Amino acid sequence: MYIFHNAMRNITRYKGRSILIGIITGVIAVACCIALCIRQAAVTAKEDGLADLAITAQISVDRQGMMERSQQSGEDMRQALSGAQDLSLEQLELYATAECVQRFTYTISSSLSAAGELEPFSTDSAAQQSGSGQDGDMPGGMGGRSQMGVQGDFTVSGYTDAGDISGYQQGTLALTSGQLPDFSAGDNSCLISSELATLNGLAVGDTITLKNPSADSETYALTVTGIYQNSSSDSGQMGPMFSTASDPANQIITSFATLQQICTDSASRATTSTDADTGITSTSALRSQTAGTYYFADVAHYEQFEEQARALGLPDDYTVQSSDISRFEQSLTPLENLSNFAGWFLLVVLAIGAVILVVFGIFTIRERKYEVGVLTAIGMKKSKVALQFVLEMFCVTVASFIIGTGIGAVASVPVGNALLSAQQSSTSQSIQQPGDMGGRGADKNTAAASGDMPGGAPGGFGGMVQGAADYVDQVNASLDLQVLLQLLGLGIALSIVSSAVGVVFIMRYEPLQILADR
Amino acid sequence: MSILQLDQVGYSYTGTRQRVQVLRDISYQFSPGSVYGIVGRSGAGKTTLLSLLSGLTLPTSGRVLFDGRDLAACDRYRYRSRDVGVVFQSFNLLPSLTATENIVLSMHISGKQYRDYRGHALKLLQKVGIEREKADRRVLHLSGGEQQRVAIARALSYDPAVILADEPTGNLDETTQDQVMAILTQLAHRENKCVIIVTHSPAVARQVDMLYKLAPLQ
Repeated sequence: MYIFHNAMRNITRYKGRSILIGIITGVIAVACCIALCIRQAAVTAKEDGLADLAITAQISVDRQGMMERSQQSGEDMRQALSGAQDLSLEQLELYATAECVQRFTYTISSSLSAAGELEPFSTDSAAQQSGSGQDGDMPGGMGGRSQMGVQGDFTVSGYTDAGDISGYQQGTLALTSGQLPDFSAGDNSCLISSELATLNGLAVGDTITLKNPSADSETYALTVTGIYQNSSSDSGQMGPMFSTASDPANQIITSFATLQQICTDSASRATTSTDADTGITSTSALRSQTAGTYYFADVAHYEQFEEQARALGLPDDYTVQSSDISRFEQSLTPLENLSNFAGWFLLVVLAIGAVILVVFGIFTIRERKYEVGVLTAIGMKKSKVALQFVLEMFCVTVASFIIGTGIGAVASVPVGNALLSAQQSSTSQSIQQPGDMGGRGADKNTAAASGDMPGGAPGGFGGMVQGAADYVDQVNASLDLQVLLQLLGLGIALSIVSSAVGVVFIMRYEPLQILADR
Repeated sequence: MSILQLDQVGYSYTGTRQRVQVLRDISYQFSPGSVYGIVGRSGAGKTTLLSLLSGLTLPTSGRVLFDGRDLAACDRYRYRSRDVGVVFQSFNLLPSLTATENIVLSMHISGKQYRDYRGHALKLLQKVGIEREKADRRVLHLSGGEQQRVAIARALSYDPAVILADEPTGNLDETTQDQVMAILTQLAHRENKCVIIVTHSPAVARQVDMLYKLAPLQ
């Protein structure tokens, strides 16, 4: 007990030294507290975000995998890709029976051209390339030119439920007049954008005529039951348009049954031809793509899905992707970068702090060598002398760590947010580098995957806007029990390290030698 | 019956070029209730002998026995903290502590239990002639003579059986010398302590009960 009492008295006897050690460890504690809070906030943000995330997944053709496999086998890559078929609705529904799937919805999309007096809404860049039809990808096109058909002016998307329309539940797509079509019926009713309606003077109840871009005589009439406003289709957000069909203003929404009926009808009227040079067969039938969306309760269920789908017969040529997770992970990029930075900063601060304290401890022991000599000469064991010195260092360190932690806890949120803001700007700038269309090198896959629906099915609509992640811009870097325990551990470790060298010195000192030297 | 005994004690150390023999075949016996004096010329090994008796170092030959036990086999920290009180020539007080704190610290280190540590320390200071108002001064603010007395009080604080004093009157005027010698003599004669004084003062040597003379080795 007297050792502790004596240690406490020595702290006040050597005020200057104690204050200096307190300032050093206090600064270390503030830095450690902020760094640990940021790291903890990043972990918490990820865990909470994933827990709250409504996770959806889609099955799409694994083009990259197919290309790799064809390269390995020496097979013609074009042939391999041309053989890739979209999954049928029956297949998609089969995989929806997997135990981990909570809910399943599906959509169909196709590209049609304007017929009659109907004009597509177009920007200059799009208009230059847009005609009555143009070669190129279908929305979410499959590659394989033979089956691409011709790109139309409009993207027509068929849904089974209004809730599946991208942006409808989020409020970015809102009905301005009329009503939703009956999504359970194939009654040729549709929704058009307000831009398209204004351009063509269309109102609810009017009829628009579309045609197969590969066959002018193949026309389809749809009745406008409603007009919608899509706030995410502002030109400023859109970037360059390479076809009118990719402009959200040219998105026509109808029921799944209506579009499926149109596609079936087109298939029955289609003509086929074979290219003499390449031997590739092309058809005039409307190209459509059916996409299924699988909903999961949480990440764990999503992670089980691919395995369960494979067990149900999903071939290796298809892959399971979740734009939600990749977009969510992308949104955490600045925070994770900041977290990594905080981790390194923590290590550097601890290393430098430990070195300073060790050096300071050595000087202190040397300065108090005579005291050690006297105490051991009058019978105090070296271990007790060492314990007293360790206690002095420990008490000063822990007290200043507590004060530093308090300051750090207050400062962690504003400092964390300021650092996050800088990191966010840095990340945004690196993504906007000219020539880097898909984001930073490491994130290209993520950025591509986050382009809404894989294959661009209905997700092509508004996909370019939604593809850009909303970065986490606030860090909840509050001090919690875990950080507190980590700081306590660091404080103890630091005081042990700083006093350990002093202990070694004390154990080496001989009282007679010290007193004789004096 | 001796409480402290030097049995054929020799001490040597390695100097810059050769081994230096300081003490050889010293056999002294010290009993309670007597004042012993150790005298000798400079370099005769008086302080070395005191270091051996106080357990600060061990002989290179022979044995130092306390109460029949070889110090080499004992816990010498315990011996120094409980059984022997040393008054060092340069006092060796802790300058950052007050006179009272120096004494109380020694009492704590001894491990002996006291009802009132501070009260006991104050009584000891009074016994060696330190005024009450100086008891709470840091020892650096006391004169050499006062520091000497504080050192004596500290050596007495845990009631050791043996008191070792290295030139205890070296820094004192004649009056104070007599007072200090009176304290040490009383400790031996009235409290049955074994008092061993290392000195080169003939006046001190005259007051001891038994005198050992150390001669430098050739």
